[in-house]
Amino acid sequence: MSLNFLIAPDFAPERFAGWHMLNTTLQRRSGIHLHLLTPANALEQAQLLAAGKADLVYANPFDATDMIRTHGYIPFARPSKRFDEMVIATGAESGLQSVDDLKPGCRIALTENKDVKLIGLRLLEPADLTESLIDWLPVDSYQAAARRAIKGEVEAAFFLADAFASLTRMTCGQLRVLVESAISDISHVLLAHPRMLDSLPAIELALLGMGQAAGDADVLDALGLSHGFEPMTQEEAEFMIDLMDTLLD
Amino acid sequence: MGLPDMDLPLVPSIEARLTYTDGSARTVYTTEVEMPFPEGRLIVSSTDLAGIITHANDAFVEMSGYAREALIGAPHHILRHPDMPKIAFKGLWDTIAAGQKWHGYVKNLRQDGAFYWVYATAVPNIRQGVIVGYTSVRRKPSRTRIAELLPVYRQWLEEEKAAS
Repeated sequence: MSLNFLIAPDFAPERFAGWHMLNTTLQRRSGIHLHLLTPANALEQAQLLAAGKADLVYANPFDATDMIRTHGYIPFARPSKRFDEMVIATGAESGLQSVDDLKPGCRIALTENKDVKLIGLRLLEPADLTESLIDWLPVDSYQAAARRAIKGEVEAAFFLADAFASLTRMTCGQLRVLVESAISDISHVLLAHPRMLDSLPAIELALLGMGQAAGDADVLDALGLSHGFEPMTQEEAEFMIDLMDTLLD
Repeated sequence: MGLPDMDLPLVPSIEARLTYTDGSARTVYTTEVEMPFPEGRLIVSSTDLAGIITHANDAFVEMSGYAREALIGAPHHILRHPDMPKIAFKGLWDTIAAGQKWHGYVKNLRQDGAFYWVYATAVPNIRQGVIVGYTSVRRKPSRTRIAELLPVYRQWLEEEKAAS
């Protein structure tokens, strides 16, 4: 038996090896062959999902909403003590001190990560900034977003907090954080397609057991998920989706 | 059982008697102290169908001033500030009971009589097509919008007092 394991394309490039290490470990412990799918972007991910090729998914919370409620995917785990937070930062020399200093017409660089944009928009509300009042500059990576902000080509940039933390010390030193979310309720989630439910217990056991055997810490560190994974119930996922729903407008 | 009267705050306060939709009433004390909304956070709570709090996140507990144990099992109107006109909440329960989302700017009352403004969104928790409870998420509000709403809320409150 072979299953496809799709990883949402929003992880930092240096985590790539970590996902292959995890995939190898899960295969060995579950006895199930897993083929890792690492789409390069949201479009590629959507095509794989539409083609029905994803049996197991590490989904970002925004995509998980549709996958659970429309396509019947079953949530079963999430990273432990690792929530999806975002950072709005400006160039260190911009003179801006808080989001209140951002004005209508300001330029903001962002990647295609929908969760980051959604949370970021909510953090801009106190400054009376809405989506239509911002001059958005799409970029391919968080490194590109940082460069734009540092050069003063944009007033601010949106970052996934993990990605911001992964920037080099030199890059971080040239940025100033305007605000960082601390929601602690939204996280990536592991989903299983209903057609693979027979195989799920073995996968679940292997995944939730990560951290207990020698060498596991290396895998989890490579993923940037040092606390491993914890069970997630259907109701916990539904609650997170309800919460996301409140952030849509 | 209704909520007990509030304790008299240590700072100067105004006394008010609130009557709730469930028919209960209590005495509350309000002060002019405003608590700033915690930067970057969301205040989250859930209730059952009767409006009894079943879940409160850390930000909710911290901003309310109550212990978590006092909040879980209490009616959500424990946060009701006397400066909020009833009409501001008009449609809230009807809207979410009909499966829709509700938004509004709300001045909440803390356990110590201080207040905090929020932009609140309430949604029904629908499971297998059935509403099993409600979740409310509050985020940092626009001060511009609050300034616009203050005279409106004040007028509504005066009209309600005149009608009662």
